[in-house]
Amino acid sequence: MAGSLFSILIFPGFVFLLVFGLAAEFFDRRIYARLQNRQGPPWFQPVADLIKLMAKEDIIPCEANPRIFKAMPILAMTATVTAFFYIPLWGEKAIFSFTGDSIVVLYLLTIPTLTFFLGGWYSTSLYSRIGAMRAITQLFAYEVPLFMSILGPALMANTWSLSEMAVFYSKHPFYCVFNMLGFAIGLVALLGKLEKVPFDIPEAETEIVGGTFTEYSGRLLGFFRAAIDIEVIVGASLMAAVFMPFGLNVWPALGFFFYIAKVLLVVAALALFRTVFARLRIDQMINFCWKYLAPAAFVQLLINLIVKGLIVR
Amino acid sequence: MAEEAAIQAELIKKFPFLESKVRVQRARRIYTEVGPEKFAEVFDYAVKNMHFCILCTITGLDEGQVLSFIYHIAREDGTVLNIKRSVPKENPVIKTITPYFFAADIYEREVMDLLGAKVEGLAPGKRYPLPDEWPQDQYPLRKDWKTPSKGTEAKQNA
Amino acid sequence: MRKVIIPIGPQHPALKEPESFQVVLSGERIMEFSARLGYNHRGIEKACEERTYIQDIYLTERICGICSHSHSSAFVQAVEDIAGLEVPKRGLYIRTLIGELERIHSHLLWLGVAGHEIGFDTLLMYSWRDREVVMDILAMLTGNRVNYGVNTIGGVRRDIDADQLKQIAKAVDTLEDRTKYYIDIATKETTVIERLSGVGVLSHDDAIRLGAVGPTARASNVKRDVRKDDPYAVYAELDFKVVTDSHNDVYGRTIVRMGELLEAYKIIRQIVKKIPDGPIAVKAPRKIPAGEAVSRYEAPRGEDVHYVKANGTEKPERVKVRAPTLANIQTVAKMLEDRQLADLPIVIAAIDPCFSCTDRMISVRNDGQKRANMMKWEDLHTYSIEWYRRKGIDFSKVNEKFKKAVK
Repeated sequence: MAGSLFSILIFPGFVFLLVFGLAAEFFDRRIYARLQNRQGPPWFQPVADLIKLMAKEDIIPCEANPRIFKAMPILAMTATVTAFFYIPLWGEKAIFSFTGDSIVVLYLLTIPTLTFFLGGWYSTSLYSRIGAMRAITQLFAYEVPLFMSILGPALMANTWSLSEMAVFYSKHPFYCVFNMLGFAIGLVALLGKLEKVPFDIPEAETEIVGGTFTEYSGRLLGFFRAAIDIEVIVGASLMAAVFMPFGLNVWPALGFFFYIAKVLLVVAALALFRTVFARLRIDQMINFCWKYLAPAAFVQLLINLIVKGLIVR
Repeated sequence: MAEEAAIQAELIKKFPFLESKVRVQRARRIYTEVGPEKFAEVFDYAVKNMHFCILCTITGLDEGQVLSFIYHIAREDGTVLNIKRSVPKENPVIKTITPYFFAADIYEREVMDLLGAKVEGLAPGKRYPLPDEWPQDQYPLRKDWKTPSKGTEAKQNA
Repeated sequence: MRKVIIPIGPQHPALKEPESFQVVLSGERIMEFSARLGYNHRGIEKACEERTYIQDIYLTERICGICSHSHSSAFVQAVEDIAGLEVPKRGLYIRTLIGELERIHSHLLWLGVAGHEIGFDTLLMYSWRDREVVMDILAMLTGNRVNYGVNTIGGVRRDIDADQLKQIAKAVDTLEDRTKYYIDIATKETTVIERLSGVGVLSHDDAIRLGAVGPTARASNVKRDVRKDDPYAVYAELDFKVVTDSHNDVYGRTIVRMGELLEAYKIIRQIVKKIPDGPIAVKAPRKIPAGEAVSRYEAPRGEDVHYVKANGTEKPERVKVRAPTLANIQTVAKMLEDRQLADLPIVIAAIDPCFSCTDRMISVRNDGQKRANMMKWEDLHTYSIEWYRRKGIDFSKVNEKFKKAVK
């Protein structure tokens, strides 16, 4: 009992996630800055930002529904942290696992977007509402390709459990080659989920000020920011667990190092996308997701089915 | 200067009353002054038959007893014709030229706000450039309107 | 779907200067667009009448922060016309040189802003870094980065030496390299093209009908450029072409501006080669004889028109300024017809608006009779809510709750 409480709250649970999330944010901002020919922030910047936000006054608009307004940031954070427990990190086993946990993780990862929508909608500002509508519209576009890109590898491994998938793929690392298309789709869909350029439409600064978060301030905004940082780690861990199942059976410290490297690799890839693209319009984004991303995910499924029939059996 | 002289000649030929009123200042700059009753006619002819198809701007002037408006219109080749018309200050009514130049709308609003011209036939719209709460009878570009100096403001505050 | 009215401005992240726009949205679609100009009116025209010609040069220079040289040049050209001054060739060459350098810095600035408006911050960072090259050159030539203070009636105030000419030539080479790279990005990067092409369409006929000027008009294939049509300074002696494009959209406007950058480099190279020796200015009288003049100048954003009337004293009788944005802002409503909200920032940005130029006036005074008063916080709040209500946006409930909270 004490052991699992420790692993939930401290390591590799909440505290570890927060610290790693902030570190990854620094990493992301630094890479982004260097790619843009800028200096970038010092290492403690994300921590300083968080402390500053936590110390500031919360302002809740009179028109907003205070209960929902306050609950949403915490809900967002809880959902992402919970999802993290079901993802195998540097061993083949996650902290918790059961048959079908991959579905649970994907649904838990949907919750932050829903909280953005509800938080934005109930803060009643015009800009927040437009941002909220965009967040939810975007959800319908990237969610299907994301699910399908995880579904393919799961089919091949013949399991719905992420931990069992890790076991399968670390036994046959060669099969990962067939999942590369799914990896690319997953990364793009993850950009949409994390609302990063070119899919940062719900918080497009030059159009709708702060989007969903226009009315958020102080601690509540801090929670949202932390939740997004954690979501980056969880999303990247999911990608790492499904598509890069290497170095899981080694000495734990080395495995830990591999895990960190894999997550940072995904973060770096996201930063690169952020640098080289302009923000799309919402209609273009949806077009892109349904016209190219979803069919590509179908192709991935087909590849997996064929490989499964011919090779894996 | 041949081109300018030709334009001058054409204007005088078409409108004999402009004799001695069309002045060529330098290359591509022609000035003329037209009385209120003939203005529409001359303007119409210049725009429609003489290819003055660009409206540079409308300048409003306070000339003591009268308010004058200069319509700067240009041709593709760079020749600018400046047609001036004057109206009495007590009743400064001019007709809108928006049928010729859609863009004239904002220039006409400007002379309305700053000089107090009354523009006939201008579609209702937002004022420009003064703030909404600016008093109706204050026209800053008129000569008798003085910027409140710092001294008077200080007195008001005291 | 229910329609909502969204205020864009007077304060909004997409606008670099205060100006108020209102859009009526149905979903993401723009149904109506209206603008209320005048937020930057500072009364410069009136102020010009109360100052001497020399003071007015510096005042007109401050009409705009970017095209400062354009406004002062247009003004001194008009005054020189009235006074009949023959400006020495070298002075005109220097004036043209600064004007073209200013065009480069303005267009590079625009490229960055456009990148930012479509969420492509990398472009902003890169183009503004390279803009520093031209800013350094301007600082070296004039001592200032934006308000150069180079013009004077009858010529220019600062001469340039051979060493500076060499440095200019070197900087132009660097800039040309970089510009070609940006043209590559803007014309090949998929997301940029997606966001720019087909957006803010202004057909050829509409551009003429609505009186568009500058790059906005030239991107709709309207071949109008004051430098060619009505040559001033030394443009008649220089070889350059008017860049036009027939895309009619924001993409076309980008191409035109980038093309103009390349033309500007060409012009500067010719100036460096051709610049004659001699005096840089003639002495101008303090009192300008009575007369009037119209001066046109192709600023980076389009045609500047200055009208100056002199009455024989040392102060002008009337100075009238028409900045390019005033002519272009009227095309925005047309460009936004049936577009999406996401296109609004880039469409407004694409005319390269400069509201300070456009408005020019007075800090609001209390019409001379009423006492000036300070507003308390609550009054200001109530006032702002009233202001929005008049525009059809109701925040009154917020106000009631606010009042309760204050009590």
